[in-house]
Amino acid sequence: MSLSEYIASRWDLLTQAALEHAVVVAISLVIATIIGVGIGMLTYRSPRWAAFAIGTSGGFLTIPSFALLGLLIPFLGLGWGPSVVALVLYSLLPIVRNTVVGLKGVDPAIVEAGRGVGMSASGVMTRVQLPLAWPVILTGIRVSTQMIIGIAAIAAYVAGPGLGNQIFDGLSRLGSVNALNSALAGTLGVVVLALLFDLFYVVIRRLTTARGLRV
Amino acid sequence: MFDTTSSGARIELDGLTKRYPGQADPAVDNVTLDIPAGELVVLVGPSGCGKTTTMKMINRLIEPTSGAIRIGGTDVLAMRPDELRRHIGYVIQQIGLFPHLTIAENVGLVPGLLKWSKDKIARRVDELLDLVGLDPAAFRGRFPRQLSGGQQQRIGVARALAADPPVMLMDEPFGATDPITRERLQNEFLRLQRELKKTIIFVTHDFEEAIKLGDRIAVLRESSRIAQYDTPARILAAPADDYVAGFIGTDATLKRLALIPVSLLSRSTSTGTTTGTSAAATDGLPQIAGSATLRQALDAMVAHGRQEIAVDGKVVTFAQICASVTGEQAGLTGEQAGAAGEWPVSGVR
Repeated sequence: MSLSEYIASRWDLLTQAALEHAVVVAISLVIATIIGVGIGMLTYRSPRWAAFAIGTSGGFLTIPSFALLGLLIPFLGLGWGPSVVALVLYSLLPIVRNTVVGLKGVDPAIVEAGRGVGMSASGVMTRVQLPLAWPVILTGIRVSTQMIIGIAAIAAYVAGPGLGNQIFDGLSRLGSVNALNSALAGTLGVVVLALLFDLFYVVIRRLTTARGLRV
Repeated sequence: MFDTTSSGARIELDGLTKRYPGQADPAVDNVTLDIPAGELVVLVGPSGCGKTTTMKMINRLIEPTSGAIRIGGTDVLAMRPDELRRHIGYVIQQIGLFPHLTIAENVGLVPGLLKWSKDKIARRVDELLDLVGLDPAAFRGRFPRQLSGGQQQRIGVARALAADPPVMLMDEPFGATDPITRERLQNEFLRLQRELKKTIIFVTHDFEEAIKLGDRIAVLRESSRIAQYDTPARILAAPADDYVAGFIGTDATLKRLALIPVSLLSRSTSTGTTTGTSAAATDGLPQIAGSATLRQALDAMVAHGRQEIAVDGKVVTFAQICASVTGEQAGLTGEQAGAAGEWPVSGVR
Protein backbone atom coordinates (compact mmCIF):
# COMPACT_ATOMS: atom_id res chain seq x y z
CA MET A 1 0.00 0.00 0.00
CA SER A 2 1.42 3.35 -0.97
CA LEU A 3 1.44 6.35 1.40
CA SER A 4 -1.42 8.04 -0.45
CA GLU A 5 -3.50 4.85 -0.36
CA TYR A 6 -2.73 4.54 3.33
CA ILE A 7 -3.83 8.10 3.99
CA ALA A 8 -7.01 7.65 1.96
CA SER A 9 -7.91 4.43 3.77
CA ARG A 10 -7.21 5.88 7.27
CA TRP A 11 -8.60 9.38 6.50
CA ASP A 12 -11.09 9.41 9.37
CA LEU A 13 -8.55 8.20 11.89
CA LEU A 14 -5.90 10.67 10.69
CA THR A 15 -8.18 13.71 10.68
CA GLN A 16 -9.41 12.76 14.12
CA ALA A 17 -5.81 12.56 15.36
CA ALA A 18 -4.91 15.85 13.63
CA LEU A 19 -7.90 17.57 15.19
CA GLU A 20 -6.93 16.35 18.66
CA HIS A 21 -3.38 17.46 17.98
CA ALA A 22 -4.59 20.95 17.06
CA VAL A 23 -6.87 21.10 20.11
CA VAL A 24 -4.17 20.08 22.60
CA VAL A 25 -1.82 22.66 21.07
CA ALA A 26 -4.49 25.37 21.13
CA ILE A 27 -5.51 24.70 24.74
CA SER A 28 -1.88 24.73 25.84
CA LEU A 29 -1.27 28.03 24.03
CA VAL A 30 -4.28 29.74 25.55
CA ILE A 31 -3.15 28.71 29.05
CA ALA A 32 0.48 29.60 28.31
CA THR A 33 -0.54 33.01 26.91
CA ILE A 34 -2.54 33.86 30.02
CA ILE A 35 0.28 32.75 32.32
CA GLY A 36 3.12 34.08 30.16
CA VAL A 37 1.64 37.52 29.47
CA GLY A 38 0.70 37.75 33.14
CA ILE A 39 4.24 36.95 34.25
CA GLY A 40 5.62 39.40 31.69
CA MET A 41 3.29 42.18 32.89
CA LEU A 42 4.28 41.59 36.52
CA THR A 43 8.03 41.49 35.91
CA TYR A 44 8.87 43.76 32.95
CA ARG A 45 9.54 46.79 35.13
CA SER A 46 12.17 45.07 37.26
CA PRO A 47 15.24 43.88 35.33
CA ARG A 48 15.98 41.34 38.05
CA TRP A 49 12.54 39.74 38.14
CA ALA A 50 12.26 39.81 34.37
CA ALA A 51 15.59 38.00 34.06
CA PHE A 52 14.42 35.50 36.67
CA ALA A 53 11.15 34.84 34.82
CA ILE A 54 12.86 34.48 31.45
CA GLY A 55 15.60 32.28 32.95
CA THR A 56 13.07 29.99 34.62
CA SER A 57 10.86 29.60 31.58
CA GLY A 58 14.02 29.01 29.54
CA GLY A 59 15.00 26.34 32.06
CA PHE A 60 11.86 24.33 31.26
CA LEU A 61 12.98 24.12 27.66
CA THR A 62 16.20 22.38 28.63
CA ILE A 63 14.32 19.42 30.11
CA PRO A 64 14.07 16.67 27.47
CA SER A 65 10.43 16.19 26.53
CA PHE A 66 10.47 12.45 27.18
CA ALA A 67 11.79 13.05 30.68
CA LEU A 68 9.33 15.82 31.48
CA LEU A 69 6.32 13.86 30.26
CA GLY A 70 7.48 10.78 32.14
CA LEU A 71 8.08 12.72 35.33
CA LEU A 72 4.57 14.16 35.21
CA ILE A 73 2.90 10.72 35.15
CA PRO A 74 3.07 10.15 38.94
CA PHE A 75 1.29 13.48 39.50
CA LEU A 76 -1.09 13.74 36.59
CA GLY A 77 -1.47 10.22 35.26
CA LEU A 78 -1.74 9.60 31.55
CA GLY A 79 -3.51 11.33 28.66
CA TRP A 80 -4.39 15.01 28.25
CA GLY A 81 -3.24 16.19 31.69
CA PRO A 82 0.51 15.70 31.46
CA SER A 83 0.45 16.57 27.73
CA VAL A 84 -1.09 19.99 28.30
CA VAL A 85 1.09 20.78 31.32
CA ALA A 86 4.27 19.88 29.43
CA LEU A 87 3.27 21.89 26.38
CA VAL A 88 2.40 24.92 28.53
CA LEU A 89 5.80 24.79 30.20
CA TYR A 90 7.57 24.53 26.84
CA SER A 91 5.70 27.46 25.31
CA LEU A 92 6.27 29.88 28.17
CA LEU A 93 9.72 31.20 27.20
CA PRO A 94 8.90 32.96 23.90
CA ILE A 95 5.68 34.38 25.34
CA VAL A 96 7.20 35.67 28.58
CA ARG A 97 10.24 37.07 26.83
CA ASN A 98 8.31 38.81 24.08
CA THR A 99 5.84 40.25 26.59
CA VAL A 100 8.73 41.74 28.56
CA VAL A 101 10.43 43.04 25.41
CA GLY A 102 7.17 44.36 23.98
CA LEU A 103 6.12 46.20 27.14
CA LYS A 104 9.60 47.65 27.62
CA GLY A 105 9.53 48.83 24.02
CA VAL A 106 6.49 51.06 24.55
CA ASP A 107 7.62 54.70 24.44
CA PRO A 108 7.78 55.91 28.10
CA ALA A 109 6.40 59.28 26.95
CA ILE A 110 3.19 57.56 25.83
CA VAL A 111 2.84 55.82 29.18
CA GLU A 112 3.49 59.12 30.97
CA ALA A 113 0.93 60.86 28.80
CA GLY A 114 -1.58 58.16 29.72
CA ARG A 115 -0.95 58.64 33.42
CA GLY A 116 -0.87 62.42 32.93
CA VAL A 117 -4.35 62.60 31.45
CA GLY A 118 -5.74 60.62 34.36
CA MET A 119 -5.82 56.98 33.27
CA SER A 120 -5.30 54.49 36.10
CA ALA A 121 -2.23 52.24 36.03
CA SER A 122 -4.36 49.27 34.97
CA GLY A 123 -6.13 51.45 32.40
CA VAL A 124 -2.82 52.43 30.84
CA MET A 125 -1.79 48.76 30.79
CA THR A 126 -4.92 47.42 29.12
CA ARG A 127 -5.73 50.36 26.85
CA VAL A 128 -2.25 51.55 25.90
CA GLN A 129 0.66 49.29 26.79
CA LEU A 130 -0.79 45.89 25.87
CA PRO A 131 -2.26 47.03 22.52
CA LEU A 132 1.08 48.62 21.61
CA ALA A 133 3.09 45.57 22.71
CA TRP A 134 0.64 43.11 21.15
CA PRO A 135 2.39 42.58 17.77
CA VAL A 136 5.56 41.57 19.64
CA ILE A 137 3.66 39.34 22.07
CA LEU A 138 1.82 37.69 19.19
CA THR A 139 5.15 36.89 17.54
CA GLY A 140 6.16 35.11 20.75
CA ILE A 141 2.95 33.06 20.72
CA ARG A 142 3.60 32.16 17.11
CA VAL A 143 7.12 30.92 17.87
CA SER A 144 5.74 28.89 20.79
CA THR A 145 3.18 27.34 18.48
CA GLN A 146 5.78 26.20 16.00
CA MET A 147 7.78 24.66 18.83
CA ILE A 148 5.03 22.77 20.59
CA ILE A 149 3.33 21.39 17.51
CA GLY A 150 6.36 19.15 17.12
CA ILE A 151 6.69 18.44 20.82
CA ALA A 152 3.00 17.56 21.05
CA ALA A 153 3.69 14.47 18.95
CA ILE A 154 5.78 13.11 21.79
CA ALA A 155 2.76 13.36 24.10
CA ALA A 156 1.71 10.01 22.65
CA TYR A 157 4.35 8.58 24.99
CA VAL A 158 2.03 9.33 27.91
CA ALA A 159 -1.01 8.22 25.92
CA GLY A 160 -1.78 11.80 25.01
CA PRO A 161 -3.89 12.84 22.06
CA GLY A 162 -2.70 13.66 18.56
CA LEU A 163 -0.71 12.55 15.57
CA GLY A 164 2.12 11.26 17.76
CA ASN A 165 0.25 7.98 18.14
CA GLN A 166 0.58 7.37 14.39
CA ILE A 167 4.28 8.09 14.51
CA PHE A 168 5.07 6.05 17.63
CA ASP A 169 2.86 3.20 16.45
CA GLY A 170 4.64 3.06 13.11
CA LEU A 171 8.13 3.37 14.56
CA SER A 172 7.54 0.63 17.13
CA ARG A 173 6.73 -1.95 14.46
CA LEU A 174 8.99 -0.87 11.62
CA GLY A 175 9.25 -3.56 8.97
CA SER A 176 5.73 -4.75 9.37
CA VAL A 177 2.83 -3.83 7.15
CA ASN A 178 2.09 -0.08 6.86
CA ALA A 179 4.50 0.74 9.71
CA LEU A 180 6.45 3.24 7.63
CA ASN A 181 3.25 4.66 6.13
CA SER A 182 1.87 5.24 9.60
CA ALA A 183 4.97 7.08 10.79
CA LEU A 184 5.17 9.13 7.60
CA ALA A 185 1.47 10.02 7.64
CA GLY A 186 1.77 11.20 11.25
CA THR A 187 4.84 13.30 10.48
CA LEU A 188 3.27 14.77 7.36
CA GLY A 189 0.18 15.62 9.39
CA VAL A 190 2.31 17.53 11.92
CA VAL A 191 3.98 19.53 9.14
CA VAL A 192 0.66 20.38 7.50
CA LEU A 193 -0.78 21.38 10.86
CA ALA A 194 2.18 23.67 11.52
CA LEU A 195 1.67 25.39 8.16
CA LEU A 196 -2.04 25.82 8.83
CA PHE A 197 -1.36 27.35 12.26
CA ASP A 198 1.11 29.77 10.71
CA LEU A 199 -1.43 30.84 8.12
CA PHE A 200 -3.90 31.33 10.94
CA TYR A 201 -1.45 33.67 12.66
CA VAL A 202 -1.08 35.82 9.59
CA VAL A 203 -4.84 36.37 9.70
CA ILE A 204 -4.93 36.87 13.49
CA ARG A 205 -2.10 39.39 13.30
CA ARG A 206 -3.96 41.35 10.68
CA LEU A 207 -7.19 41.31 12.69
CA THR A 208 -5.79 42.08 16.14
CA THR A 209 -3.12 44.68 15.44
CA ALA A 210 -4.52 48.17 15.97
CA ARG A 211 -5.03 49.94 12.65
CA GLY A 212 -3.04 52.95 13.81
CA LEU A 213 0.05 50.77 14.15
CA ARG A 214 -0.20 49.56 10.56
CA VAL A 215 -0.43 52.95 8.84
CA MET B 1 -13.52 69.14 41.85
CA PHE B 2 -11.99 72.59 42.05
CA ASP B 3 -14.59 75.24 42.48
CA THR B 4 -14.25 76.85 39.09
CA THR B 5 -15.70 77.28 35.68
CA SER B 6 -13.78 76.57 32.51
CA SER B 7 -11.45 79.54 32.86
CA GLY B 8 -8.45 79.50 35.15
CA ALA B 9 -8.08 78.75 38.82
CA ARG B 10 -5.43 80.10 41.16
CA ILE B 11 -2.53 77.77 41.93
CA GLU B 12 -0.66 78.06 45.20
CA LEU B 13 2.54 76.18 45.95
CA ASP B 14 3.49 76.37 49.60
CA GLY B 15 6.88 75.15 50.81
CA LEU B 16 6.90 72.46 48.15
CA THR B 17 9.85 70.10 48.56
CA LYS B 18 10.96 66.88 46.90
CA ARG B 19 13.81 64.79 48.27
CA TYR B 20 14.94 61.56 46.69
CA PRO B 21 16.41 58.96 49.01
CA GLY B 22 20.20 58.81 48.87
CA GLN B 23 20.63 62.32 47.50
CA ALA B 24 22.11 65.02 49.66
CA ASP B 25 20.39 67.97 47.98
CA PRO B 26 16.65 68.12 47.51
CA ALA B 27 15.51 68.04 43.87
CA VAL B 28 13.04 70.78 44.71
CA ASP B 29 13.67 72.87 47.78
CA ASN B 30 10.91 74.73 49.58
CA VAL B 31 9.23 76.38 46.59
CA THR B 32 6.51 78.87 47.37
CA LEU B 33 4.73 80.36 44.38
CA ASP B 34 1.38 82.06 43.92
CA ILE B 35 0.00 81.87 40.42
CA PRO B 36 -3.00 84.11 39.78
CA ALA B 37 -6.01 82.65 38.00
CA GLY B 38 -5.92 82.94 34.23
CA GLU B 39 -2.21 83.74 33.98
CA LEU B 40 0.50 81.94 32.10
CA VAL B 41 3.55 81.50 34.30
CA VAL B 42 6.77 80.23 32.79
CA LEU B 43 9.23 78.28 34.90
CA VAL B 44 12.57 78.86 33.26
CA GLY B 45 15.94 77.51 34.31
CA PRO B 46 18.84 75.34 33.18
CA SER B 47 18.45 71.61 32.58
CA GLY B 48 18.20 69.64 35.78
CA CYS B 49 17.22 72.61 37.94
CA GLY B 50 14.05 70.84 39.09
CA LYS B 51 11.51 72.83 37.06
CA THR B 52 9.91 69.74 35.54
CA THR B 53 9.88 68.00 38.93
CA THR B 54 8.13 71.05 40.40
CA MET B 55 5.53 70.92 37.65
CA LYS B 56 4.93 67.18 37.90
CA MET B 57 4.21 67.50 41.61
CA ILE B 58 1.21 69.66 40.75
CA ASN B 59 -0.54 66.80 38.94
CA ARG B 60 1.13 64.33 41.28
CA LEU B 61 3.02 62.34 38.71
CA ILE B 62 5.68 62.93 41.36
CA GLU B 63 4.58 62.93 44.99
CA PRO B 64 6.00 65.81 47.06
CA THR B 65 8.03 65.03 50.17
CA SER B 66 6.50 67.98 51.98
CA GLY B 67 4.60 71.18 51.33
CA ALA B 68 1.14 72.00 50.08
CA ILE B 69 -0.47 72.55 46.67
CA ARG B 70 -3.82 74.25 46.29
CA ILE B 71 -5.73 74.74 43.05
CA GLY B 72 -8.67 77.11 43.32
CA GLY B 73 -8.34 76.74 47.10
CA THR B 74 -8.67 72.93 47.01
CA ASP B 75 -5.93 70.85 48.60
CA VAL B 76 -4.61 68.79 45.70
CA LEU B 77 -2.78 66.29 47.90
CA ALA B 78 -6.05 65.18 49.45
CA MET B 79 -7.51 64.16 46.08
CA ARG B 80 -7.26 60.88 44.20
CA PRO B 81 -4.37 61.38 41.74
CA ASP B 82 -6.19 59.89 38.70
CA GLU B 83 -9.26 62.02 39.35
CA LEU B 84 -7.08 65.11 39.84
CA ARG B 85 -5.23 64.61 36.55
CA ARG B 86 -8.46 64.42 34.57
CA HIS B 87 -9.00 68.05 35.53
CA ILE B 88 -5.52 69.28 34.71
CA GLY B 89 -4.45 69.57 31.08
CA TYR B 90 -1.04 68.03 30.45
CA VAL B 91 1.17 68.63 27.42
CA ILE B 92 4.68 67.19 27.11
CA GLN B 93 7.56 67.74 24.74
CA GLN B 94 7.38 64.20 23.33
CA ILE B 95 3.66 64.84 22.68
CA GLY B 96 2.76 61.28 23.69
CA LEU B 97 -0.25 60.73 21.45
CA PHE B 98 -1.51 57.15 21.49
CA PRO B 99 -0.46 55.78 18.10
CA HIS B 100 -3.09 53.03 18.03
CA LEU B 101 -5.97 55.44 18.53
CA THR B 102 -7.44 57.84 15.99
CA ILE B 103 -7.12 61.59 16.44
CA ALA B 104 -10.75 61.72 17.61
CA GLU B 105 -10.13 58.92 20.14
CA ASN B 106 -6.98 60.64 21.38
CA VAL B 107 -8.72 63.96 21.91
CA GLY B 108 -11.85 62.34 23.36
CA LEU B 109 -9.93 60.22 25.85
CA VAL B 110 -10.30 62.37 28.95
CA PRO B 111 -14.00 63.18 28.36
CA GLY B 112 -14.42 59.40 27.99
CA LEU B 113 -12.74 58.85 31.35
CA LEU B 114 -15.14 61.44 32.78
CA LYS B 115 -18.05 59.43 31.34
CA TRP B 116 -19.37 62.04 28.94
CA SER B 117 -21.95 60.78 26.45
CA LYS B 118 -20.72 59.71 23.00
CA ASP B 119 -22.55 62.58 21.28
CA LYS B 120 -21.11 65.15 23.61
CA ILE B 121 -17.60 63.78 23.12
CA ALA B 122 -17.95 63.80 19.33
CA ARG B 123 -19.14 67.41 19.36
CA ARG B 124 -16.35 68.42 21.73
CA VAL B 125 -13.70 66.72 19.55
CA ASP B 126 -14.83 68.62 16.44
CA GLU B 127 -14.94 71.87 18.37
CA LEU B 128 -11.39 71.35 19.64
CA LEU B 129 -9.99 70.39 16.23
CA ASP B 130 -11.48 73.61 14.90
CA LEU B 131 -9.96 75.50 17.80
CA VAL B 132 -6.43 74.27 17.06
CA GLY B 133 -6.90 74.93 13.35
CA LEU B 134 -7.28 71.40 11.98
CA ASP B 135 -10.28 70.50 9.83
CA PRO B 136 -12.34 67.97 11.85
CA ALA B 137 -13.66 66.17 8.78
CA ALA B 138 -10.15 65.59 7.46
CA PHE B 139 -8.35 64.79 10.72
CA ARG B 140 -10.78 63.10 13.07
CA GLY B 141 -10.30 59.61 11.58
CA ARG B 142 -6.55 59.82 10.98
CA PHE B 143 -3.84 58.28 13.11
CA PRO B 144 -1.05 60.22 14.85
CA ARG B 145 1.62 58.78 12.54
CA GLN B 146 -0.10 60.35 9.56
CA LEU B 147 0.38 63.85 10.99
CA SER B 148 3.38 66.19 10.95
CA GLY B 149 5.12 67.08 14.21
CA GLY B 150 3.41 70.47 14.39
CA GLN B 151 -0.01 68.95 13.73
CA GLN B 152 0.65 66.28 16.37
CA GLN B 153 1.43 68.90 19.01
CA ARG B 154 -1.75 70.79 18.10
CA ILE B 155 -3.59 67.55 18.84
CA GLY B 156 -1.58 67.28 22.06
CA VAL B 157 -2.88 70.70 23.08
CA ALA B 158 -6.42 69.79 22.00
CA ARG B 159 -6.27 66.61 24.08
CA ALA B 160 -5.16 68.61 27.12
CA LEU B 161 -8.04 71.04 26.63
CA ALA B 162 -10.63 68.34 26.02
CA ALA B 163 -12.40 68.33 29.36
CA ASP B 164 -12.01 72.11 29.67
CA PRO B 165 -9.67 72.00 32.67
CA PRO B 166 -9.05 75.22 34.62
CA VAL B 167 -5.33 74.45 34.80
CA MET B 168 -2.80 73.33 32.20
CA LEU B 169 0.72 72.05 32.72
CA MET B 170 3.01 72.28 29.70
CA ASP B 171 6.50 70.77 29.74
CA GLU B 172 8.54 72.27 26.88
CA PRO B 173 5.63 71.59 24.53
CA PHE B 174 7.22 73.25 21.51
CA GLY B 175 10.79 72.16 22.28
CA ALA B 176 11.00 69.36 19.74
CA THR B 177 9.69 71.25 16.71
CA ASP B 178 11.70 73.17 14.11
CA PRO B 179 12.06 76.94 14.65
CA ILE B 180 9.45 77.93 12.07
CA THR B 181 6.83 75.52 13.35
CA ARG B 182 7.68 76.50 16.93
CA GLU B 183 7.11 80.18 16.17
CA ARG B 184 3.77 79.39 14.54
CA LEU B 185 2.66 77.13 17.40
CA GLN B 186 3.65 79.78 19.95
CA ASN B 187 1.61 82.44 18.17
CA GLU B 188 -1.44 80.21 17.81
CA PHE B 189 -1.13 79.17 21.41
CA LEU B 190 -1.02 82.78 22.60
CA ARG B 191 -4.10 83.60 20.58
CA LEU B 192 -5.81 80.59 22.13
CA GLN B 193 -4.79 81.50 25.66
CA ARG B 194 -6.10 85.04 25.26
CA GLU B 195 -9.48 83.47 24.51
CA LEU B 196 -9.44 80.68 27.07
CA LYS B 197 -7.70 82.34 30.03
CA LYS B 198 -6.53 79.09 31.58
CA THR B 199 -4.06 79.11 34.41
CA ILE B 200 -0.97 77.66 32.78
CA ILE B 201 2.35 76.54 34.14
CA PHE B 202 4.78 76.36 31.27
CA VAL B 203 8.25 74.87 31.63
CA THR B 204 11.06 75.78 29.27
CA HIS B 205 14.81 76.37 29.25
CA ASP B 206 14.44 78.89 26.42
CA PHE B 207 14.39 82.38 27.89
CA GLU B 208 13.20 83.94 24.59
CA GLU B 209 10.17 81.67 24.72
CA ALA B 210 9.58 82.61 28.34
CA ILE B 211 9.56 86.32 27.47
CA LYS B 212 7.30 85.78 24.52
CA LEU B 213 4.69 83.64 26.24
CA GLY B 214 4.76 84.44 29.93
CA ASP B 215 2.50 86.81 31.81
CA ARG B 216 5.03 86.17 34.54
CA ILE B 217 8.32 84.36 34.62
CA ALA B 218 9.87 82.46 37.50
CA VAL B 219 13.62 82.18 36.92
CA LEU B 220 14.84 79.13 38.79
CA ARG B 221 18.24 78.11 40.15
CA GLU B 222 19.23 74.58 41.10
CA SER B 223 16.78 72.77 43.41
CA SER B 224 14.09 74.93 41.84
CA ARG B 225 14.92 77.89 44.10
CA ILE B 226 13.27 81.02 42.74
CA ALA B 227 15.80 83.65 41.67
CA GLN B 228 13.15 86.09 40.47
CA TYR B 229 9.41 85.96 39.91
CA ASP B 230 8.02 88.88 37.94
CA THR B 231 6.66 90.08 34.60
CA PRO B 232 8.97 89.74 31.58
CA ALA B 233 9.31 93.51 31.25
CA ARG B 234 10.40 93.98 34.83
CA ILE B 235 12.80 91.04 34.79
CA LEU B 236 14.44 92.50 31.68
CA ALA B 237 14.55 96.00 33.12
CA ALA B 238 15.77 95.01 36.58
CA PRO B 239 17.20 91.52 36.91
CA ALA B 240 17.39 90.58 40.57
CA ASP B 241 21.01 89.44 40.44
CA ASP B 242 23.86 88.29 38.22
CA TYR B 243 22.32 84.85 37.81
CA VAL B 244 19.15 86.28 36.28
CA ALA B 245 21.15 88.79 34.25
CA GLY B 246 23.24 85.91 32.90
CA PHE B 247 20.07 84.18 31.83
CA ILE B 248 18.83 87.23 29.98
CA GLY B 249 22.10 87.62 28.09
CA THR B 250 23.78 90.80 26.91
CA ASP B 251 20.92 92.11 24.79
CA ALA B 252 18.37 92.80 27.52
CA THR B 253 17.45 96.15 26.02
CA LEU B 254 16.75 94.66 22.61
CA LYS B 255 14.62 92.00 24.24
CA ARG B 256 12.67 94.68 26.05
CA LEU B 257 12.11 96.55 22.81
CA ALA B 258 10.64 93.36 21.40
CA LEU B 259 7.95 93.52 24.09
CA ILE B 260 6.74 97.01 23.14
CA PRO B 261 4.49 97.61 20.13
CA VAL B 262 5.60 100.49 17.93
CA SER B 263 2.03 101.77 17.86
CA LEU B 264 2.52 102.88 21.47
CA LEU B 265 5.02 105.54 20.35
CA SER B 266 3.26 106.58 17.16
CA ARG B 267 0.15 107.19 19.23
CA SER B 268 1.93 109.48 21.68
CA THR B 269 3.48 111.53 18.89
CA SER B 270 0.27 111.99 16.96
CA THR B 271 -0.12 115.75 17.29
CA GLY B 272 1.83 118.83 18.27
CA THR B 273 5.27 117.43 17.61
CA THR B 274 7.64 118.76 15.02
CA THR B 275 7.43 115.58 13.01
CA GLY B 276 3.68 116.01 12.55
CA THR B 277 1.31 113.74 10.75
CA SER B 278 1.30 115.13 7.25
CA ALA B 279 1.99 112.82 4.37
CA ALA B 280 5.02 114.96 3.48
CA ALA B 281 6.68 114.15 6.79
CA THR B 282 6.61 110.42 6.19
CA ASP B 283 7.59 110.66 2.52
CA GLY B 284 10.57 108.55 1.68
CA LEU B 285 10.81 107.02 5.13
CA PRO B 286 10.90 103.26 5.56
CA GLN B 287 7.42 101.97 6.43
CA ILE B 288 6.49 99.60 9.20
CA ALA B 289 3.13 98.32 10.50
CA GLY B 290 1.72 99.48 13.82
CA SER B 291 1.60 95.90 15.05
CA ALA B 292 5.40 95.61 14.77
CA THR B 293 7.64 95.90 17.82
CA LEU B 294 10.16 98.61 18.62
CA ARG B 295 12.86 96.03 17.99
CA GLN B 296 11.59 95.57 14.44
CA ALA B 297 11.38 99.37 14.05
CA LEU B 298 14.99 99.68 15.18
CA ASP B 299 15.96 96.93 12.79
CA ALA B 300 14.36 98.82 9.91
CA MET B 301 16.14 102.05 10.90
CA VAL B 302 19.55 100.33 10.99
CA ALA B 303 18.85 98.57 7.73
CA HIS B 304 17.95 101.84 5.95
CA GLY B 305 20.52 103.99 7.76
CA ARG B 306 17.78 106.35 8.98
CA GLN B 307 16.92 107.86 12.36
CA GLU B 308 13.22 107.99 11.60
CA ILE B 309 10.61 105.57 10.45
CA ALA B 310 6.99 105.82 9.32
CA VAL B 311 4.37 103.94 11.27
CA ASP B 312 0.87 104.08 9.80
CA GLY B 313 1.48 107.59 8.47
CA LYS B 314 3.21 108.83 11.61
CA VAL B 315 6.89 109.27 12.35
CA VAL B 316 8.78 107.48 15.10
CA THR B 317 12.34 108.60 15.81
CA PHE B 318 15.38 106.81 17.15
CA ALA B 319 15.41 109.19 20.12
CA GLN B 320 11.87 108.16 21.00
CA ILE B 321 12.85 104.51 21.03
CA CYS B 322 15.76 105.27 23.36
CA ALA B 323 13.47 107.33 25.59
CA SER B 324 10.94 104.53 25.78
CA VAL B 325 13.53 102.29 27.37
CA THR B 326 15.05 104.82 29.80
CA GLY B 327 11.65 106.22 30.67
CA GLU B 328 10.42 102.79 31.48
CA GLN B 329 13.38 102.27 33.75
CA ALA B 330 12.73 105.53 35.56
CA GLY B 331 9.12 104.65 36.28
CA LEU B 332 9.89 101.09 37.12
CA THR B 333 8.19 100.93 40.47
CA GLY B 334 5.15 102.81 39.31
CA GLU B 335 2.26 102.36 36.97
CA GLN B 336 4.31 102.44 33.85
CA ALA B 337 6.22 99.28 34.68
CA GLY B 338 2.96 97.58 35.37
CA ALA B 339 1.74 98.73 32.01
CA ALA B 340 4.94 97.47 30.44
CA GLY B 341 4.05 94.10 31.77
CA GLU B 342 0.66 94.31 30.11
CA TRP B 343 1.83 95.27 26.66
CA PRO B 344 2.82 91.87 25.45
CA VAL B 345 -0.55 90.49 26.37
CA SER B 346 -2.55 93.12 24.62
CA GLY B 347 -0.77 93.87 21.43
CA VAL B 348 2.52 92.82 20.03
CA ARG B 349 2.42 89.18 19.35
